[in-house]
Formats: sequence, C-alpha cells, structure tokens
Amino acid sequence: MIDPITIILITLGGVLIGLGVHFIPVGGAPAAMAQATGVGTGTVQLAAGAGLTGLISAGFMYHHLAISGAFTNSDFMMVMASGAVGAMIMITVTMFIGQLVYVYGVGVPPVSAKVKTDPITGDVQDIYISKGTEGHGVPTVSFVSGTIGGLLGGVGGSMIYVQLMEIVGDPSNSGAVALAGIFATGVFYVNSVLASYNIGGTIEGFHDPKFKRVPKAVVSCLIASLLCAIIAVPIMGGVV
Amino acid sequence: MSTAAGGPAGGGLNPNQVIILGAVGGLAGIYLTMLNQAMDTTIFSFLGGIGAILAAVWGADAVRRVCSYGLGTGVPSIGMLALGMGIVASMFGLILPKVAGIPTVAGPIIAFIVAAIIGLIIGVMSNKILMMNIPIMEKSMVEIAGAGALVMIGLSAAIAGSFDIVDIMPAVVETGFIALVFIGGAMTILHPFNACLGPDEKQYRTLKVGVEKGALIMAIAGFASLTVIDGISATLTTIIALVIWVVYFKKFMKDTHHDAYLVTGTGLLPTEEELE
Repeated sequence: MIDPITIILITLGGVLIGLGVHFIPVGGAPAAMAQATGVGTGTVQLAAGAGLTGLISAGFMYHHLAISGAFTNSDFMMVMASGAVGAMIMITVTMFIGQLVYVYGVGVPPVSAKVKTDPITGDVQDIYISKGTEGHGVPTVSFVSGTIGGLLGGVGGSMIYVQLMEIVGDPSNSGAVALAGIFATGVFYVNSVLASYNIGGTIEGFHDPKFKRVPKAVVSCLIASLLCAIIAVPIMGGVV
Repeated sequence: MSTAAGGPAGGGLNPNQVIILGAVGGLAGIYLTMLNQAMDTTIFSFLGGIGAILAAVWGADAVRRVCSYGLGTGVPSIGMLALGMGIVASMFGLILPKVAGIPTVAGPIIAFIVAAIIGLIIGVMSNKILMMNIPIMEKSMVEIAGAGALVMIGLSAAIAGSFDIVDIMPAVVETGFIALVFIGGAMTILHPFNACLGPDEKQYRTLKVGVEKGALIMAIAGFASLTVIDGISATLTTIIALVIWVVYFKKFMKDTHHDAYLVTGTGLLPTEEELE
C-alpha cells in the first residue's frame, strides 16, 4: 500500500522547501526599519507567502491537466513549473515593492553588508552602508537569490501536493484536494520554520556566510519531512 | 525578541498546572461533543470550542516559556510550526480509525500522541542538529505540538458537531473551513505572547489574551458551523464564545491598567488652528 517513490518525493519536496528558505533575503524586524538587508518580515511569513502562492498555481495547473484524463510525467513537470513560477512571482513582487519603499520612501540605497562587491554586478557595496546599520534594501544579488528561493520553494510545495493528490488519483474529489492542500501547507510550515531556526532569523541570500549552515537544515528537513511523508500516505489513502 | 531573551519565564501558575488544564481540559472538551451522538442533537458542539480554548491557553503558556529564551526568528514562527505539526498529527489521528478499523473514539488520543512524537523529534533536532541550545526545547515542542493538535480537533469538532472523520471531512475539510481552523488556531497559540512580550510580561495577562483569542476563533467557528449543523447549535457556540471573549477582554484590560505605571488620556491631536 505504501509506495516508496511517493514517500521519497514528498521528503524531497520538504527538503527543497527548507533549502529554498535559505535563498530568500529575510531581514526581519531590523530590515523593517531599513537597518538590515532584505525584506522587513520573518522567514516563515515570506517563505509561506511565496510557497502558498506556488501551491495555488500548482493546484490550478494540476486540476487543469489531471481532470482531462491520465496524468503523465510531463504533466508532472508542468505542474511543478507552474508552482515554481507562482512562488517566484510572489517573492519577486514582494521584494520589488519593498525595494520601492526602501529607495523612494526611506531613502536608502540597496546595499549588502556581508560582501564588499556584489558578486553578480560587481558594484561596490561597503561605502554605501549607513553607519550603524547592517545594510539596507534588496541589492541585485539578494534579489536573484530570493528568486531562486521562490523557485525551490514552489517546486517543493507542488511536488508534495501532486504526490498527495496522486495517492487518491481523483482530481474532482474536493475532500482530497482540500486535504492535500492543507497537508502540503502543514509540511511547508514545519520545514520553513526549521530552516528559519537554522539561519537564526535573518539572511541576505546565497552570498551570506550563514548560507554555509545549509547542510544542517537539509538533514533536519529530511528527517521532519520523512516523518510527515510516512504519516501522509495513510491519510490520503483514507479519503477514498 | 531581544527585550525578552535571556532566561526561564516565571509566573503564578506553574507549567504542570497549565499542562493538566490544557491536555485534560482540551481532551475532555473534545470527548464531551460525543454527547451530541448520545442524545442525537448538535447542541453540545460548543464544548469542542471550550476544549480548544483550554488547549490554546496551554499552547500559549508553552510558547511563552520557550520564547522567553529568545528564538531569533520571532514568536509567530513557533505558532505556525505548532499548527503545522498539529494538522499533520490530527488528520492522521482522526483518519487512522477509519483506515485501520479501530473505534473512532481513539482518534483524538492517537492524534495527541502522534503530535507529541513529532514535537519531540523536531525539538531534539532543533537542539542537537540546529544547535539552538534552549534547555526546554524538547519538552516545549512536545507541548506545543500537542496543544496545536487539540486546538485543531477542538475547533473542527465545534464546527462539525463531532470528531468522527466521516463528519469532519464534508463539514470542515471539503468546505475549506480547515484553512480557517489552521490559521485561527495558530493565532491563538502564537499571538498571546507575541502581543505581551517584553520585560514586564506577566503570565496572567498573557494567558488572558490566550483565552480571549481562543474565544474569538471559537466564535468564528460557531459562525462557520451555521452552514453545517443547525442554526440554534451554531448560534449557541457563537454566543458562548462572545460572552467568554467580552469577559476575558475586560479582565485583560483591567490587568493592563493595573500593571501600568499610569493610565492617562492624551486627548485628540491638536487641530491646525490650535497649533498656530
């Protein structure tokens, strides 16, 4: 009854979410006062915002493709792409609007305090940092990093959702849709919180020294997601 | 968080008293909804909501104890984690009796135990792998996950009038109220300490916010159950919840005024003419 591939893919989805969180430039409360680089809110809120948007776009695509008949591997790729694009749009819009507020509202240049020059554009960073702050705004490298984070989170979330739906195999069953959606959300929160504990609240992106802690988060998210995946399979089996 | 970071939290009620109140009270509230089936009515649905409030108070106290060490990520994260673990465990616990053919009555207990196991594993990982080094992390995670599962089941039982998955699936899951239960339940656990944290945080004030928040989400659950169970039972749930809310909000305001150094009215902002 329990298919190992399903469990492996759900676990992989959870790990991708935990990994994705490390890419998102989270500034927390200091960033809300433009005293740290990143968007001024918590990891969980940002990751969940992007992840849930990804789930909705993945759900839309899954319903569209699966309702018409057999669900093939290429359909699976389409659903994950849809989820990734949804999450990426959400996180980039958040970063962009935040950027407008930082630049035109607060009046600070987007700058990173963790590197001397932006690894992507090569722009000098350190001379633009206001005294007493840890950088501000969303510099190019953080923006790109955040987009990658949205991609990983979106792919991870939609992977979990699709695997859960495939256990039931009936896209028109509204109970299964709701249960798979809320269950994917639960797994999403568990993994994004674990990842945010790993980075201790704030991170600028893949250029941040804290990014080196990733392996620890991967191990934790692997264990937590595996546990959730083993529990998930009988739950979805109980719907039919 | 930095204002509250540092050491163990003190308070009037000791942790064990709150654990008993939350675990026993929460489970009792959930199991008392079985009166509905015994008497062939739905009037006792509100008891699920009362159970959820008691469990929420327990969760809020556990969050308060663990967050007083300083997590570095803000308080909301732990509340979302609680319900993340809670929803996985409660759905498993409620569905397992149907899948495995054991009596439905075992559902909430299974959910509670599974939540505690997930909480323990996540707590151990936080300290051993992620090196958070919070001495009460494992214990608190067990408590928070358990409370999260009970809040979920309590609110679902208040909406559906029963904790049997056969009733909860169409009433709570398929209608989408599960999302409301998820976020609302997380709020009851994370909000009290998030709202009260600081050097002058007091247990009795924080827990009163917990009761008040629990009552608010119970009122919303009652309103949601209008579409599921009969109008009188749903209205009863909402009215009881609103009464609890008013009582505890007043108590909270009284305590806040009592603890404040001075309460004074600043008047309205001066008009443009007065400034000239």
